[in-house]
Amino acid sequence: MLRYTLTRIGQAVLVLLVMTVLLFLLINLMPGDPVDNMLEGNPSLTAASAAQIRELYGAGVPLPVRYWNWITAAVQGDFGYSSIYFRPVAEVLGPALGQTLKLMVATLVLSVPLALLLGSLASLRPGGLMDNLISFFAFASISLPNFWLSLILIIVFAVQLGWLPASGTPLETNPPIWLEVRHLVLPVLVLTMFFVGPLVRYVRASMIETLSSDFVRTARSKGLSEPQIIIRHALRNALIPMVTVLALGFGGLFSGSLVVETIFGVLGMGKMIFDAIRYVDFNLALIGLLLATLVTLISNLLADLAYAWLDPRISLK
Amino acid sequence: MMIAAPASVAEIQDAHSQASGAATPLLRVQDLTIAFPAAVGREAEVVSSISYEIGAGEALGVVGESGCGKTMTSLALMGLLPPAAQVDGAIWFDGRDLTKLSARAWRSHRGRDAAMVFQEPMTAMNPVMRVGDQIAEVLVRHEGMSKRDGFSRAVQLLASVHIPSPERRAQDYPHQLSGGMRQRAMIAMALACRPKLLVADEPTTALDVTVQAQILDLMLELQEQHGTAIQFISHNLAVVSEIAHRIMVMYSGRIVEYASVGDLFANPLHPYTQGLIKTLPEMGQPGSDLYTIPGTIGGKRPPGCRFSNRCPLADAGCRQAEPALREVAPRHYVACHKVN
Ligand SMILES: Nc1ncnc2c1ncn2[C@@H]1O[C@H](COP(=O)(O)OP(=O)(O)OP(=O)(O)O)[C@@H](O)[C@H]1O
Ligand code: SF4
Ligand SMILES: [Mg+2]
Repeated sequence: MLRYTLTRIGQAVLVLLVMTVLLFLLINLMPGDPVDNMLEGNPSLTAASAAQIRELYGAGVPLPVRYWNWITAAVQGDFGYSSIYFRPVAEVLGPALGQTLKLMVATLVLSVPLALLLGSLASLRPGGLMDNLISFFAFASISLPNFWLSLILIIVFAVQLGWLPASGTPLETNPPIWLEVRHLVLPVLVLTMFFVGPLVRYVRASMIETLSSDFVRTARSKGLSEPQIIIRHALRNALIPMVTVLALGFGGLFSGSLVVETIFGVLGMGKMIFDAIRYVDFNLALIGLLLATLVTLISNLLADLAYAWLDPRISLK
Repeated sequence: MMIAAPASVAEIQDAHSQASGAATPLLRVQDLTIAFPAAVGREAEVVSSISYEIGAGEALGVVGESGCGKTMTSLALMGLLPPAAQVDGAIWFDGRDLTKLSARAWRSHRGRDAAMVFQEPMTAMNPVMRVGDQIAEVLVRHEGMSKRDGFSRAVQLLASVHIPSPERRAQDYPHQLSGGMRQRAMIAMALACRPKLLVADEPTTALDVTVQAQILDLMLELQEQHGTAIQFISHNLAVVSEIAHRIMVMYSGRIVEYASVGDLFANPLHPYTQGLIKTLPEMGQPGSDLYTIPGTIGGKRPPGCRFSNRCPLADAGCRQAEPALREVAPRHYVACHKVN
């Protein structure tokens, strides 16, 4: 198990390294030049200082050398300077990542149990009233656009009822935790609604299949009660393939949070990457995208480990 | 090897018929009919008005081709028929009619009064639960044991079905056991609460021949030890004759012949039974081709006798009316117009 985990981590590092090369190339192919951008934003810049800035940014240095300079600095924790926030990238990154993780973790914590509950309930009597209601909910969750739902929720709960704030981040510096939670309610609700639908459908299908399997019949033949059969026998088996679906869905959740962050003004990764690319902030965009890759790699790794933990048939060697 | 010589079977049968005298049998199925009213493109009635008995400690063999209703009959005894199935008739078990049981009463019947072993040992066990825990579960449910006690009892049970190093096997997951061992574990699970009736639905069909014989020996041994009544299902007459005292031959949802093993082999009366016996390799002429009953079951049932479209003796009369099951000799029943 340990060896497997280490091997997988090694592979992940390798993938990450390849991604740095690819992303570095792609970012350098982006139209626009950060220094030109700066000049546009600040017409009082003299030609001499522009040349100096260009020099500082390594213009004229061949691409492989620039990559080498960048990566050697990056592994030492120096990700460069953000040209739009005028701060070191690491300083910009930390809070943004924190915000996004808060959103994603809260969404996961809400949607996984909800999906298990609704999916299982729907699977008990396929085609029954409960199943129809839940399937309708899942369908709505899949088809309602994020931005539309966000706006409706803002109109109802923030504007009309005034129960909750419309923005995802409190204005205060160092806000108390309850205030932060209040601000997170609406964005998390939208993300959960976005994330839970496909999961519910998946749990339902997986449970229907599992409930008709031979070992569930064996469990029945032992005289177990329905809840025992569902929780002890069916759910765990139905859960195994869920892990993969969750890991794959994680990427979707990340990009889903981009839209939601933008609408609710959450200063998270989505908004940061969006701004970085839009305003050609090389260093920030590069690290932001790499981090997105890293999140996906980690979620896949965790999925494989969870898979092995849930399914004794898989032996990790 | 698979076929008991008729003489010895007759001895078993005689000994048995003395044992189960006139006392009320453990199980009495009366006019049991199982139908799927909503079935499209196939017969709605999968079991038609069958009646039979199993005495305490008796082993009844049920034979018949695929689709003749053997599994449905067994599931009915456990209350495990699909929800769409409609059941008529009565199933008297230990003085009460199972068809009238509440869901709750069914749950205490299953695993304790009657237990079932299924055909596929591969899929019949929960793949993510330790074998010992799966056996312990039934003891926790019915005997009120703690999980721990249930587990140690499970180890003993695994030993009693001759699984080597049972402590280790109890810790294993089903995929770590061979097919034969898994079926032994299933039998251990089924017998955990010493049920009065064991329903075994083709327990050896999925196993290879040598393992089949071992499992049959095990079942015989346990049956002698505990005096458990068995309903043993197979499409293989040879396998059934190894273990059963009496045999019930089914065809297309009906019982066509029902007799002791000795009588059935010595004097098969129904043309279908005669065909089945002819298909047994050891019974045919040496070197001759294996006999098969022409035609297949399934498709639309012919009018009158359900076997008439395949029966070598069929005539117009057979297609007129369905033959009733009649007692033509003491405790030898047959459903055929041509038998007197
Ligand atoms: N849900 C259902 N709806 C309608 N018909 C069904 C349903 N399930 C089973 N049947 C039919 O019931 C008949 C009897 O099935 P059963 O499983 O009892 O046969 P069997 O004798 O056990 O056959 P096998 O040797 O293949 O196990 C079959 O013809 C099958 O097509
Ligand atoms: S009743 Fe007729 S068709 Fe049916 S088994 Fe007897 S002889 Fe054959
Ligand atoms: Mg069957």
